[in-house]
Amino acid sequence: MNATVGSANYSYVSARVRSRRAALFDENDYRKLIRMGPGEIARFMEETEYETEMNALGSRYDGVDLIEYALNENLAKHFDDLLRFADGQLNEYIASYLRKFDAWNIKTIIRGVYTDSETQEIQDDLIRAGEFSDAMLDRLVESTSIESVVEQLSKTLYGSALAEAYEVYEETGVLVALENAVDRAFYSDMLGGFPREPSEGTAMYVQLLRAEIDFRNVRNALRLARSGAEIDPSEYFIPDGRLFDADQLRQLTQNPDQLTEYLRDSTYGRDLSEALDELESADGLIDFERALEKALLEYADTMTNRFPLSICPVIAYIRAKEREVDNIRAIARGKQAGLSTDEIEEELVIV
Amino acid sequence: MIELQLTLAFISSIVSDVALQAQPLLENKGAAAIAFGLSAIGAGMAERSIGSAAVGAIAEDDDMFVSGLILTVIPETIVIFGLVVVFVVS
Repeated sequence: MNATVGSANYSYVSARVRSRRAALFDENDYRKLIRMGPGEIARFMEETEYETEMNALGSRYDGVDLIEYALNENLAKHFDDLLRFADGQLNEYIASYLRKFDAWNIKTIIRGVYTDSETQEIQDDLIRAGEFSDAMLDRLVESTSIESVVEQLSKTLYGSALAEAYEVYEETGVLVALENAVDRAFYSDMLGGFPREPSEGTAMYVQLLRAEIDFRNVRNALRLARSGAEIDPSEYFIPDGRLFDADQLRQLTQNPDQLTEYLRDSTYGRDLSEALDELESADGLIDFERALEKALLEYADTMTNRFPLSICPVIAYIRAKEREVDNIRAIARGKQAGLSTDEIEEELVIV
Repeated sequence: MIELQLTLAFISSIVSDVALQAQPLLENKGAAAIAFGLSAIGAGMAERSIGSAAVGAIAEDDDMFVSGLILTVIPETIVIFGLVVVFVVS
């Protein structure tokens, strides 16, 4: 099939993706996993989806490390597959969405360099599913100062934003500016590249992205509101969301009750009602963030059912897969650290 | 879509020709042939995306082969309707 615009093979890709989405671990699998020790989890994974990776890496690593490496490898494999399946415009959408792992990797590297972590340690946390080549990531990981990381990225789309943020970082010594710069550069590049009056497929993609931005803003706003810290919320704000602009956000963070009220009346009111109830009853933010995450996953699933032949199933799958990897890692690490079943259960987001 | 519009334009030109002339341009059999051909094109368009989705599903899970095959050939019924027209007319 040629790769001209308009020849996107939505039906083929969404069939494959939905099949994979259905094959992800469900509640029962998690219930089993939670009751296992690290060794048993590894054995369980050998009999599932992760068989190839577990066998390939089994001779080199063991225990929780093996699980973690297998998870990352599997994630990268599946996301590469998506790019291989998709043609035309769909391929472009997926490629641009997967750049979020580039953003993730940059943030990980910056944090790693900031805390003087071992090269190997940083490398373990990278998810090689984005656009950056392995060689480039390796070079970035090897750098000794944040300045050289910023310099090496100067030719990428994060270049100018990072250079600006670096000045702030030099003054304050806090990473927040750099991390926000990466997030903002990522989202604005993604949304900025689309025409003003997009086609139907693009409009759908934009809608999903804006939902993601909104949820992120809500989370940041609530964290700030709860922590009571004297930080300007607009520093964390990512523009282009559907829900609010910087001024609104600043006002709302000063008054958490108003914020929940505002969310209840918003477009996501119905999707978020469960999460909001939880927020009002629970003291901790953790429950709410989990509920928020769940709502975002469910939102993508709802969109999938509404528009089966679109980008939605793919995004829903990418998010769900990411979540599964996070869940399994949380279980394995939690078991290793000796957490109780209940404590681990609290960390999981199961849809 | 453009193919469909062209076909419609073609048919409407034939029909208007037919209205003008005493001798019909298109005999019954010819009309039936066009009906059959159009129905086959319709089935092809329908099977295009069903087929690719079915291949995708089968690639993920071999058990989908039977249901994939059945779903793929369902639009063939459209061709059968076209064929029925041929028998009715002749």
